[in-house]
Amino acid sequence: MTYPQQLLELIEEFKELGDKRERIEYLFEFATEVNELPRNEWTDETRVRGCQSEAHIRVAIHDNAVHFESAADAQLVQGLMGILTIAIEGQPTSLVLELTPDFASEMGILTSLSPSRSNGFRNMFDKIQQEVRNITG
Amino acid sequence: MVNGYPLVYLDNAATTQKPSVVINAMNDYYTTSNANVHRAVHTLAGEATDGYEGCRTALKKRFNAEFAILTSGTTEAINLVAHGWGRANLKQGDVIVLTEMEHHSDIVPWQMLAQERGVELRYVPVTQQFTLDMEAFTYALEGAKLACVVHTSNVLGVRNPLEDIIALCSEKGVRILIDAAQGVPHTHLDFANFGADFVAFSAHKMCGPTGIGALLVQPSAFEEMEPFMGGGDMIENVSISGSTFQSDEHKFEAGTPRIAEAIGWKAALDWLGSIDIDSEHERLLGIARYVADELRSMGMDVYGRHEHQDSAVVSFTHPTINSEDIAHLLDARGFAVRTGHHCAQPLLQRLGLLGTVRASFYVYNTMDEAERFIAEMNEIVEKFA
Repeated sequence: MTYPQQLLELIEEFKELGDKRERIEYLFEFATEVNELPRNEWTDETRVRGCQSEAHIRVAIHDNAVHFESAADAQLVQGLMGILTIAIEGQPTSLVLELTPDFASEMGILTSLSPSRSNGFRNMFDKIQQEVRNITG
Repeated sequence: MVNGYPLVYLDNAATTQKPSVVINAMNDYYTTSNANVHRAVHTLAGEATDGYEGCRTALKKRFNAEFAILTSGTTEAINLVAHGWGRANLKQGDVIVLTEMEHHSDIVPWQMLAQERGVELRYVPVTQQFTLDMEAFTYALEGAKLACVVHTSNVLGVRNPLEDIIALCSEKGVRILIDAAQGVPHTHLDFANFGADFVAFSAHKMCGPTGIGALLVQPSAFEEMEPFMGGGDMIENVSISGSTFQSDEHKFEAGTPRIAEAIGWKAALDWLGSIDIDSEHERLLGIARYVADELRSMGMDVYGRHEHQDSAVVSFTHPTINSEDIAHLLDARGFAVRTGHHCAQPLLQRLGLLGTVRASFYVYNTMDEAERFIAEMNEIVEKFA
């Protein structure tokens, strides 16, 4: 899988950080990168299932480019959403559907991306791809 | 080491670590005695059978129980009561009393049975003081056939007034199941004199292996149970026209059982038997009280009482820092805690919470670890609140 250039640079940045705590604290800073989905627009449809905390995503496609709004209770989850925003926002649907969630492991943030684990990131990633598939048919 | 830091394991209410004697016992079985139990005449089969049945004997001795059915854990033990006793004794319109404090494993089997049999479920509420509403409990027991109550809450550490509850059930002729998954690791339990009909618990929360647990059953309740899993080992005789079943616990243990796990659990029981569990419990409760007080002084909301018989569990939230964030920050420094609803959503809903951070202590945890945990929490609060 070839990641978008911005994502590759982010992976390198995270890898250079000393330990996991530094990576988590840096990840918190990306919480502001999301196109924020206002809390009063959180619905059952926008909810990311299987998350320990509240996490919401709404996907739209304009001119074959993926756009999404997101927000979460947890800074870490919203930070991951911020990273996803940098990776995905405005990208063609084909690229978004090709993307795998492994970059979160490569960044040293998450140790397990197993779908059976309570894992907000994996679930939000799957939700975005599923909604893109639903919209594009 | 975890993430470059020494591990401080505070997720013991989920599962405990295993002493080397447990690991060695299981390893020895697979290395020198591996065989199936009960049937074969060869030497290894005898050793395997002795190992497996040795666990049952140790359980009966430790808990003063006449019947100890080995299951895959607390969940299967409760399901065994639901299917083995419930199906044989409950009909449409009968009532089961549950509490809002129950783990999902003591709610979902009853909901499934209720759907199948048209049984009514009544839930006893939890008060804002983290206790069961005993007035509501008394009222709910009217006309009930079975009550299912958690010994000690996995979220709050609160130990319920079991003696009062059992006396009430006995007075009203209601059978009672106690989910003792969080209680048994911390206390003595004399099952014959306890008065409950069923007690369910798991090995892995008391230094034993995962995948094995037990259901203790009083003789009169045992007589009312029917097997719900059929297969090898549980039968007396099988013919084309039908089968007859064994009369003892084996009737409920169809198929090849968890032999290595039973051997490991026996080693854990022996190991725990060498510890003065009463003084250990006092020590751990002291640690929990210290942690709870320190967290409160940092502005945390702490859910629980930490009274004499409660377990060493500290559940908390911070007004502004998300619980999941706290857990990730702690994990990055080697502290293992649990977050989320702890498989007790009705309780969390009653308390108006989506989740908590839970630190739970067991026999190998030290005050030094608790102090380091508090220092780390102070740093997190100072930096992120």
